[in-house]
Amino acid sequence: MLSLYFRLIGAKIRSQMQYRVSFWLDLVGFGLTTALEFAVVVILLARFKTVGGWSVTEVALLYGLASSAFGLAEMIGRGFDSPFERMMQEGTFDTLLIRPHGSFFQVLASEFQLRRLGRVAQGMAALLYALVNLPIHWTAGKLLLLPLSIVSGMAIYMGLIVIGAAICFWTIKTPEVINVFTFGGLEMMSYPLGIYSDWLRGVVLFVVPIAFVNYPAALFLLGRSDPHGLSPLLAWAAPLVAGLFFALAYAFWRVGVRKYTSTGS
Amino acid sequence: MRLYLEVARRAFRRATVYRSAYVAGILTNAFFGALRSFVFIALYHATSEVAGFSLPDVLSYTWATQALISVGAGWIFGADLMVSIRTGDVVTDLMRPWNFYSYWLSRSLGERGFNLLVRGSLTYLIGMLYFGAHVPSPPQLLAFAATIVLALLVSFAFSFMVSLTAFWLIDSSGVLIIANIMLSFFSGFLLPIDFFPPWLSAVARALPFQAITQLPAEALLGRLNGMALMEALLIQAFWALALTALALLLLRVAVSKVVVQGG
Repeated sequence: MLSLYFRLIGAKIRSQMQYRVSFWLDLVGFGLTTALEFAVVVILLARFKTVGGWSVTEVALLYGLASSAFGLAEMIGRGFDSPFERMMQEGTFDTLLIRPHGSFFQVLASEFQLRRLGRVAQGMAALLYALVNLPIHWTAGKLLLLPLSIVSGMAIYMGLIVIGAAICFWTIKTPEVINVFTFGGLEMMSYPLGIYSDWLRGVVLFVVPIAFVNYPAALFLLGRSDPHGLSPLLAWAAPLVAGLFFALAYAFWRVGVRKYTSTGS
Repeated sequence: MRLYLEVARRAFRRATVYRSAYVAGILTNAFFGALRSFVFIALYHATSEVAGFSLPDVLSYTWATQALISVGAGWIFGADLMVSIRTGDVVTDLMRPWNFYSYWLSRSLGERGFNLLVRGSLTYLIGMLYFGAHVPSPPQLLAFAATIVLALLVSFAFSFMVSLTAFWLIDSSGVLIIANIMLSFFSGFLLPIDFFPPWLSAVARALPFQAITQLPAEALLGRLNGMALMEALLIQAFWALALTALALLLLRVAVSKVVVQGG
């Protein structure tokens, strides 16, 4: 199944490279868009020095972790975005159901956006900048935590994308509101969680767990404490939370597939 | 003239139909408004004024820019024209006995009129209720009305030119992305231009984008009075004329030179 995935994705990438100018324009465009997001953070912190007690390098760590994870999820998971939405609207999702592979796998393999590498590269660059400039006391645990939290973050964002897609089974259209959690979540998590109001923190910790993308890990790496008493040890719970959230998203998808009635035509 | 009024009226009414879309839009704008408000509240923790903005100023500014998203303050809103060029439908519109530019302009004004009255004002209302956004006085509303009309003309001319690139490029998504970056950053949508480092704010002041977002937002907050307001209106009028002329020129080139997509 994995080799089939890579063959399908390989074909997808080759086809994207046929429109070379479009590909590079998109890559540069996405890269610039994300660079701008971070530029805003840097401009603000150049003026104000700290936000919630965090310096610009510490905020870069937050941003780098979240943006890398989000970029990877977008690159891999965009099949659940507009391509899938189109399948729902045109009724072509039917053909997926009669093929000898799960519909989840086929939608996943239907798209791979290499051009989103712009965001991943930019997120990694911010992360690298932070790691080089922060006085982190490295241990084996911290070294392990770094890749672990990027993968967990990716799984959380993938879960969100899948939930957005699964809503399509009822509404035919992915609701705009999902952007609040993906793009909004990314912007929100670019700043330390402690600055937000109780209800907002509650939502991103317990309902849509995007806080686990970077915040506990950053607390742990920096040896900081949260103003509201959140334990840095929660960093180690992130993979668990991510796995659980992704499993829930997958279950929701399965319910949707079972409920699916074609648009016909 | 009656024709264009009718076109605008229909676009206005069409916009009223998608109720769940604009309710979702308002909630999304309000979410981002709240988010950025919390960030500014945390940033202003130890200072009372930065770059001429106090905390209440910057909160009001944040909500004003969020409220203006649906009239094109942050990125190019609505790509109907671009789609019609890509599909080839544009040919029929070009043959019709009306002025092509005025037709699309009145459509845009009708739709954005609705967005401003409903989406914009409700978003701003949320800001007034929960984050103490500035309650504009009648003269300030009047100043805002004048600046927003000019802002709409500038914004339309800019998005019209971006859409026209579809005549030359089959896939203009890259152009759209780059145009949106310029707009969201240099218009003062993401941050007031005053917060930029001096060299960057000089660049922003020399570009047309501030006429779309920052100037009307500042007018609403009552930050532009007397001479400052006159100056803002002059800047806007200049860009409205210049960009409209450019857009018309580009349209002429496009129509005379380009083979339209069949379909």
